[in-house]
Amino acid sequence: MKTSLHLVLDPEHLGEFFPILRTGVSVKARVGCSIRTLLCEQFKLDGEYVQGRVTTIFLDGKAVDDIDSVPIRDGSTLALSAAMPGLAGATIRRGGILAVMRGSITHKESGDRGPERNGTITVKLFNLLLAEVGPDFLRRGILVKSSDLENFFGRRTDAFWQGCREILLDGKPATPAQLKIGGWCPSGGVVNLSVAPKV
Amino acid sequence: MDKILRIDMGAAEGPKATVHPVGEYAGLGGRAFTSALVSKEVHPLCHPLGAENKLVIAPGLLSGTTGSMSGRISVGCKSPLTGTIKESNAGGQAAQVLARLGYAAIVLEGKPKGDDLYKVFINKDGVKIDVDNSLKMLPNYDLIEKLKSQYTDKAAFISIGTAGEMKMLSASIACTDPEKRPTRHAGRGGTGAVMGAKRVKAIILDDTGMKMRPPKDPEKFREANRRFVEGLRKHPVTGQGLPAYGTNVLTNILNEAGGYPTYNFKEGQFKGATHISGETQAELEIKRGGSATHGCHRGCVIQCSGIYHDKHGHYLTKQPEYETVWSHGGHCGIDDLDTIAHLDFLDDNYGVDTIETGVTIGVAMDAGIIPFGDKEGAIRLVNEIGQGTPLGRILGSGAEVTGKVFGVERVPVVKSQALPAYDPRAVQGIGVTYATSTQGGDHTAGYAVTANILKVGGDVDPLKPAGQVDLSRNLQIATAAIDATGMCLFIAFALLDQPETFQALLDMLNAFHGASMTGDDVTALGKRILTMERDFNERAGFTKHHDRLPRFFSQEKLPPHNVVFEVKDEELDQVFNW
Repeated sequence: MKTSLHLVLDPEHLGEFFPILRTGVSVKARVGCSIRTLLCEQFKLDGEYVQGRVTTIFLDGKAVDDIDSVPIRDGSTLALSAAMPGLAGATIRRGGILAVMRGSITHKESGDRGPERNGTITVKLFNLLLAEVGPDFLRRGILVKSSDLENFFGRRTDAFWQGCREILLDGKPATPAQLKIGGWCPSGGVVNLSVAPKV
Repeated sequence: MDKILRIDMGAAEGPKATVHPVGEYAGLGGRAFTSALVSKEVHPLCHPLGAENKLVIAPGLLSGTTGSMSGRISVGCKSPLTGTIKESNAGGQAAQVLARLGYAAIVLEGKPKGDDLYKVFINKDGVKIDVDNSLKMLPNYDLIEKLKSQYTDKAAFISIGTAGEMKMLSASIACTDPEKRPTRHAGRGGTGAVMGAKRVKAIILDDTGMKMRPPKDPEKFREANRRFVEGLRKHPVTGQGLPAYGTNVLTNILNEAGGYPTYNFKEGQFKGATHISGETQAELEIKRGGSATHGCHRGCVIQCSGIYHDKHGHYLTKQPEYETVWSHGGHCGIDDLDTIAHLDFLDDNYGVDTIETGVTIGVAMDAGIIPFGDKEGAIRLVNEIGQGTPLGRILGSGAEVTGKVFGVERVPVVKSQALPAYDPRAVQGIGVTYATSTQGGDHTAGYAVTANILKVGGDVDPLKPAGQVDLSRNLQIATAAIDATGMCLFIAFALLDQPETFQALLDMLNAFHGASMTGDDVTALGKRILTMERDFNERAGFTKHHDRLPRFFSQEKLPPHNVVFEVKDEELDQVFNW
C-alpha cells in the first residue's frame, strides 16, 4: 500500500516542487488512448491551450507531431513544453515545417495501441508549462519515490515550512518536524503526493 | 551611415584614419557589408593575421534608430580559425553608437611595425588614435574599468582581451552592454586575433551630440516599429519563453530529444542536465538577487539575457547562454551552474569564444588532460589560455589544433570551427547547415525563418517534406539577409509564425530608407551575400569536400536513439545549387 501525503501550501511555495516536475513524476492514467485524449480529457487541459501552448512534445524521447494518432502506453514518458527558441526549437516543434530536419528522432507509431486500461506514466513538465499547469498536476496527485521526497523535504527552508498550512499523512494530521526528520514512509516505497495552494 | 572610416594601421608615419564615402557598399549593412568588403578587398590567400587582411566592423541597416532589436554589430575578416570568410556578430551598445556617429563601417587595414598597442577614440569631432601600452595584457573587465573613467557615460567600447593580443584562434571581440560590461562578444572564428594582429586593443565610441538616425518617413517607421514590437511581445517564444529563461531554456528539451551532445559528442543525453537548465538557472538568478530578464542593448524588447550572481549575491557574469552552458557543461560532464558561470566570466574576461573554448576543453578531457566533470580542472585550463602558458596557447588555438596536438580522433569541427550544442545525428537538418555553412560549423547560419514566409523556392508543404537540403538552403539565405539588417536573430521566431510581424520588419526597413523592399528582395539579398562568401571561400581553396561533417558522425551511433548522420555527400553538394 502506498503512503499518501497531502500538503496545503501558501501559493508562493508551489514553485519549489517544479524541479521535481521537471525531472519527471509518475501519474496514474488510462493508457491506450491518444495524447490529446490524455491531455484534454484526463489531465483536463483546455483544448486550445494544448493546441497553442503545448507545442513541443516528446514521447519516450522522440518528438511527436500528431497527438491524435500517437497513443500513450503503460510505462511511457511524456515530456511537455512550450515553443522553443532557435533552429533546434523550431525543428522539434510538433507538426512544424522543419520537422523533416529531425526525422531520425521523430516518433513513428507502429503496432497496436491495445485497449484502454489503467496504467502509470511518467510526465515531465518544462519551462512555461511548469507555472501554468504544474499546480494542477500537484493538486491531482503525483507518485514520487520516498527517498526523493525525503531529500526534497530535508532541503526546505524555514520559510517553506512556515508556509505549509496543513499536512495529512495517510489522512492523519502530521507536523513539519515529522517530514523533516524522515522515516515517515517505508524505505524504497512510493508516495502519493498531492499539494494544494491555500486559498 | 554614409561614410566608411578606414584606419591604416601600417601607415609609414603611424596609424592613419581617413573617411571615405560609402560608395559601392551603399545600402548594405551588417553581414552584407562585411562580406561584400572582405570578398572584394581582401586577398583570399592572405594570411589572416597579416597586413593584407582587413577587419570590418559594421552596424546593421537599422542600427542607431529607434527601431527595436536593431543592436547587432557585425565583424568580418578572413578567419584565422577557419581560413574562410567570417562574419561574427554581437549585441551590446556599439552598433547603435557607431551608427549614430554616421559610420557604415570601420575598416582596420594594414599592420603596424613594432609592439605598440593602440586605442582608437571616435566621436562626432573625428578620430584619435593613441599608443597606450599601459593596456597591454589587460583582460576585458580590467581594461574597461580602466578606460571608462576616461570617457563620458555615453561611451561604448569594442575591445580584445589577452587572447586577442596573443592572436589566439579562439579570440573574440567584446562589446560592452548598457552597464558597460564587456559581456557581448563576436565570438566565432578568431576575429579577436585579427584585431590583435592590427595591435588595436580598444575602440571607444562616443555619440555625445549625435541624434537618433532619422527615418525617411517617420510616421510610417513609428507605426511599423509599433507593429513589430507588438508581434514580438505576443509571441510565446520572444514574449515569454526567452524573457523568462533565456536561451538556456533549450537544455532540458534538447536533452529529452537525445540531441544534447555529451562527453565530447559521445552521448545524446546528460544526466546532470536538469541542474544546469534554463529553468534552474533563472530560479537561481532570481533567488540570489540577479535577474533572469535583461537586454544586451538598449531597445531590446525580448530581454533574453540576465545577470548571474555568485552565492554571496555579487555580480559574477551575465546570464550564460545555452551554447555556453552546454559547451562548458554537458559537453564536459560538468553539472554545476556556478562553475559554468565562472567559466563564462573567464571567457569574456580573456576574450575567447565560449563555444570554441568549451568544446576544446572537452576535447582535452577526451585526451586525458583532465577527466570529464573536473570543475576545478576546467577553470584551470581556461586560466592557462588567458595567461598564455604553453598549454594555454594550444587550447586557445581551438578544438582542431588541440585534437591534433593530443591525438584525439573525435574532434567535432567543420572547417576547423567547433560545432555548437545540437548533435547533428539527432537533428540532421542542422547537420546539413553545419557542413555547408560558409562560416564553418555554425548554428546561426541557418535559422528559423521559413521558406513559406520568404517564398524561397516556393511554398514548402509540411506534409510533403521538401528535404533537409532544401530547408537548409532556404534557412541559410534567410539568415544571411537578417544578419544584414543588424536585427537580433531571435526575432526570427515571431517572423516564423506571424507573417504580419515579418511584414512589419519590411515596413520598418522601407520607411526608414525610403525603399520598397519585398520578400523577394530579402531573398535576393541573402543569396547575394552567400554567393559572395562562397566565391571568397572558393578562391581561398575551399571545395565541396570541405562541406562535410567529421566522419565519426556517420559511423558512431549516438545513444539513446542510436542514430548516425545519414545525409549523403551528393545531397550536401546541392545546398547552394540555386
